[in-house]
Amino acid sequence: MKAIIALSILAVLNMFFGVRKMKKVLLPLIFIGLIITMILNISDWGKSVHYFNEMFIADNFSIAFSSVLILIGILIFMFANIYYKGVERPLEDIYALILFAIIGGIVMASFGNLILFFVGLETLSISFYVLAGSKKFDIASNEAAMKYFLTGSFATGFLLFGIALVYGVSGSFNLEAINTYILGCNGNVPMIFIAGMLLIFIGMSFKIAAVPFHFWSPDVYTGSPTLITAFMTTAGKVASIAAFYRLITIAFISLHSELTTTLTVIAVLTIIVGNLSAVYQDNLKRMFAYSGVAQSGYLLMALIVLGPKSAGILLFFVLSYVIATITAFAVLMLIREERGTFFIPAFRGLAKNNPVEAFAMAIAMMSLAGIPPLAGFMAKYNLFVLTAEGGYTWLVVVAVIGSMISIYFYFKPILASYFSEGEPQHKIESSVNFKINILVLSILMILLGFLPQVIINLL
Amino acid sequence: MGFNIYDFTGMTHNMHVSFMEHMSPLMTTIVEWTIIGVCYLLFIALFGLFLVYAERKVCAMFQQRMGPMRVGYWGLLQTIADFIKLLMKELITPKGVDKFLYNLAPFIIMIATFMAMAVLPFAKGLQTLDFDIGVFYVTAVSSIGVIGILIAGWSSNNKYSLIGAMRSGAQILSYELSVSLSLVTMIILAGSMQLSVIVEGQRDAWFIFKGHVPALIAFVIFLIAGTAETNRGPFDLAEAESELTAGFHTEYSGIKFAFFFLAEYINMFIVAAMAVTVFLGGWMPLHFGSLESFNHVMDFIPPLVWFFLKVGGVIFLIMWFKWTFPRLRVDQILTLEWKYLLPINLVNILLMSLVVLTKFHL
Amino acid sequence: MIFSKYLFFILSFIAIYAALKVLISKKPMHSVLYLTLTFFAIGGHYILLNAQFLAVVHIIVYAGAIMVLFIYTVMLLNLNIQGEFPKSRLAKFASAIAGGILLFTLIAVFRSYDLKVLADPSLNQIGLVKNLGKILFQDYYLPFELSSILFLAAMVGAVMLGKKDIY
Repeated sequence: MKAIIALSILAVLNMFFGVRKMKKVLLPLIFIGLIITMILNISDWGKSVHYFNEMFIADNFSIAFSSVLILIGILIFMFANIYYKGVERPLEDIYALILFAIIGGIVMASFGNLILFFVGLETLSISFYVLAGSKKFDIASNEAAMKYFLTGSFATGFLLFGIALVYGVSGSFNLEAINTYILGCNGNVPMIFIAGMLLIFIGMSFKIAAVPFHFWSPDVYTGSPTLITAFMTTAGKVASIAAFYRLITIAFISLHSELTTTLTVIAVLTIIVGNLSAVYQDNLKRMFAYSGVAQSGYLLMALIVLGPKSAGILLFFVLSYVIATITAFAVLMLIREERGTFFIPAFRGLAKNNPVEAFAMAIAMMSLAGIPPLAGFMAKYNLFVLTAEGGYTWLVVVAVIGSMISIYFYFKPILASYFSEGEPQHKIESSVNFKINILVLSILMILLGFLPQVIINLL
Repeated sequence: MGFNIYDFTGMTHNMHVSFMEHMSPLMTTIVEWTIIGVCYLLFIALFGLFLVYAERKVCAMFQQRMGPMRVGYWGLLQTIADFIKLLMKELITPKGVDKFLYNLAPFIIMIATFMAMAVLPFAKGLQTLDFDIGVFYVTAVSSIGVIGILIAGWSSNNKYSLIGAMRSGAQILSYELSVSLSLVTMIILAGSMQLSVIVEGQRDAWFIFKGHVPALIAFVIFLIAGTAETNRGPFDLAEAESELTAGFHTEYSGIKFAFFFLAEYINMFIVAAMAVTVFLGGWMPLHFGSLESFNHVMDFIPPLVWFFLKVGGVIFLIMWFKWTFPRLRVDQILTLEWKYLLPINLVNILLMSLVVLTKFHL
Repeated sequence: MIFSKYLFFILSFIAIYAALKVLISKKPMHSVLYLTLTFFAIGGHYILLNAQFLAVVHIIVYAGAIMVLFIYTVMLLNLNIQGEFPKSRLAKFASAIAGGILLFTLIAVFRSYDLKVLADPSLNQIGLVKNLGKILFQDYYLPFELSSILFLAAMVGAVMLGKKDIY
C-alpha cells in the first residue's frame, strides 16, 4: 500500500520535472524514489496487513513479489540511459508509464478482491500497450502495440466475463468469500462457476503467454523497443504469475485437484511449443519471446503441485529469470546500438574485444538454460523436485527434455561470441558504469545459485 | 378539480384520481401519457415559434432595425407564415445519401430535445418526471443530440455537412464537460440531483446567492458552455454561413429543416431552464433574508410567471451573446474549453466543496 | 409487475438484434449506430433494475462520448469503399467452430444452473445515487482511487502517442 502511494507520487513528480525540461534530475529522482519505495514495501514484512475492507492484502507473498517488481524497475531504469542515448527529450512520459505499470503489477501481486485485481491488471496492460508502441516511427513497434492492444483487450474481455460469472454465482468479489462459497457447495459446484473460473484462466494464460494463447508474444516482443521488451517480459510475467498464484491458492484452492489436469496440459504444451519454436529463431529478440513462453510453462508447474515451499520456489524462479533476462537484454541493447541487428552473427568475436559483455551474456544465457552452478539451475532443480514429489514424474521428464532443447538455442550467442571463426568485429565502446552493472548482475546470478535457500525460505 | 395557480400538485393528483375512477389503470396511463405528450408538443411548437420571433426582434434591436413588421401587428404572425412556408416545401432527398440515416437524423435530435424537457420543473407539481438523478439525466439525453447531428452531417454526403458535423461534435463533446462540471458544483451545494429537491432548497435564497463566488463562477461557465452546447453564436461555427453554407443541415429542406431549426431553439430553452432551475431558484420567487414584506409581495406572483420571466431573461442574455460577439475559430473554441474553462471549473469544484464543508453557505 | 417483464423482453430483443447487426452490417457507420442502440437497450435494462444512476452514466459515457468518438473515427477512416480484410476460408471455418463451441458451452452452462434472484433491486434501492455513493466510497474505495491511476496512465499514453518525437 505504501509502495503504491510512493510510486504514484514518484510518477507524478517525474512528470512534473519532465514538463519543466529538467532532464538531468529525472533518473536520479526515480532511483531515489524506487529505493524509498522498496524500503517502504519491505517495512511491512511479516505484518500481513489487510487494507480497505480486505481489498489489498500485504502479506509476505505480495511484499516479496512487489519487491521483485520494484527491483525490475530499478534494473530497467539502470539501462534506460543506454537505450535512450542521444534522445533530447526528458522522456518523462515513458518513465511514468513504466512506473504506472509497476503500480499495476504490485496491485496484481497483492489483491484480495477481484475488482482490485482487474484494476491492477488493466493498469499494467494499458501501460504496456502504449509502451510497446512508444517508438512511434517504427512500423514494427506500431504493429506490436496494435496487436498487443487488440488481442490483449480481447483476452481482458474473457477475464471480465469470467469474473462476472464467478460473482454472479458466488455473490462476492472477495477471494476468501469465493472460497467459502466453494466449500459451502460440498463438492457440488455449479458448472456456471467452473465456466467463469476457466474464462478467468484463459485471460491469465494470455497474460503470461501460455501456449494456446501465446500467438501475440513473438510479434509484440520483437517489435517493441528493446528496453520495453525487457520490461514487459519480466514485469508482465512476474505480476501475472503472482496474480495467478493468488487466485489459485486463495480463491480456487478447494477446486485445485480438479484444475490440475487443465493446468498440466497447458504447462506441457507451453514448455514443448515454446522451446521447439525458439530453436528455429535467428533473431535473438524473437528467440527470447519464445523462450519466455517456455519459461511460463515452468512457472505454471509451480501452480500444479502446491507444497509449503511452492511460493518460495516460485519467487526464486522469478527472481533468477528476471535478473538473467534483464542482463541479457542489456547486452543485446548495446550490441544492437553498434551493429544494428539482433541476429546471431552480431555476436561474432565479442569475447575478444568486449570480454565483460561476453561474460555477462554467457552467464545470463547459461542461467536461463539451467547450467549447474547458476541461479537458473537451482530454480529449475527445486521446481522439478517439488513437482516430482507431488507425483508428476512424467511432467518433470517433459520439462527436463524441454530444458535440454533450450540449451541448444541459449548457447547460440555464447558459441558465436567465444568460438566463432573469422575476423572479429570492431570493439564496442561501453561506459564503466554499464560494465559494473552487468558484472554485478552476473555475480548475483552465480551467488544465488549457491544460496537458493535464502530466497526460498523467505516465504 | 381545484385549480391553484401556486401549486399544481393538487390539480394533477385530482386529475389522476378522477381518471382512475372512470378507467382501468392501463387506460389511465395511456390517457395521461397522451395528455402530457400533447401538452409538450403544443408547448414546443408555440414556444419555438415565439423564440424565433423573439430572436429576430432582438437581433433587429441590436442592429438598430425594426425587424419583421409587415405580417400581423409588429410582425407577430411572421414566424407562423414562415412555418407554413416550410411545411409546404418539397422534401428533397439528394442523390447518394444514406436514405435511412438521412431521414432518421432529424428525429433523433427532436427525441433528444423532447426527453430533456421531461424533467424540467415548470412550477410546483408541474413536472412530468422527478428523477432521483434529474440533473444528470438532462446532461445524458442532451448528449444524444450529438449523434443526431453527426448522422445528419455524415449521411448528407456533402463536405460542408460533414465538416459542420465534425466541428459541432467536437464542440459539444468538449463543452459538455464544462456543463456537467458546473452542474456538479451546484449539486455539491444542493446535496441532491433531484430537480424538485434542488428547487425546494432555494426557498430562502437562490443558489447563485447562497453559493457565494463559486456559484457565480459556475453560473458564468454554465452560460458560456451552455451556449456552446446549443451551437449558438459566438460558437456557431458548425453552421457558419460564410464558410459552410449551413453546416450539418445544409442538405435538409422543408419540415426536416424545421426540425433542426426548432430543436436549436428548444435546446436554448432547455439550457436557460436548467440555468434557472439550478442557479436562479427555478420557479421560486425572489426572496431576501429579512425583508418580510418584500418577500410577501413576491410570493403573490405565480411560480409559472417567475419561471418564464427568469427563463426569458436568460434567453435574452444568450441572444445578446449571439448578436454582439464575433464568431470564434475552431482552435479558439477548443482552447477556451480545455485550457481555461475546464481548469477553472475543477478549481471551482474544490472551492465549492470548501464552502459546503465549512458551512459557509448557510 | 407484468409490464416490466414485457419491457425486459423487448429490451433484450433490441439489444441482441442490434448487437448482431453490428457484426452483419456492411457499412461501418451502421455498425457503430447499432452499437449505440445496443448501449441504449442495456441502459434500459439498468433502469429496469432500478439503477438509474448507472443507466444515465452508461448513456453519458458510452452513447454520448465513446460512440461519438467511434463515429468520428469511422468518418475519418472512410471505411466505406473497401470492405473487409481478406480471410482464408479455413480461418473463417475454424473461428466459426470455436465460437460456436463457446456459445454452446455457455448456453449449456446457463441452462444447468437455475438462476435465482440474489436481491430484489426494487426493494434494496442499491442503484440509487446515495447508496451507490456510499458503497463506492466505503467498500470499493481503493479500486475507485486506483482507477484514477489507470486513467492517468491512459491519458499520459495518449499524449505520448500524439507527440511527434521519435521516442
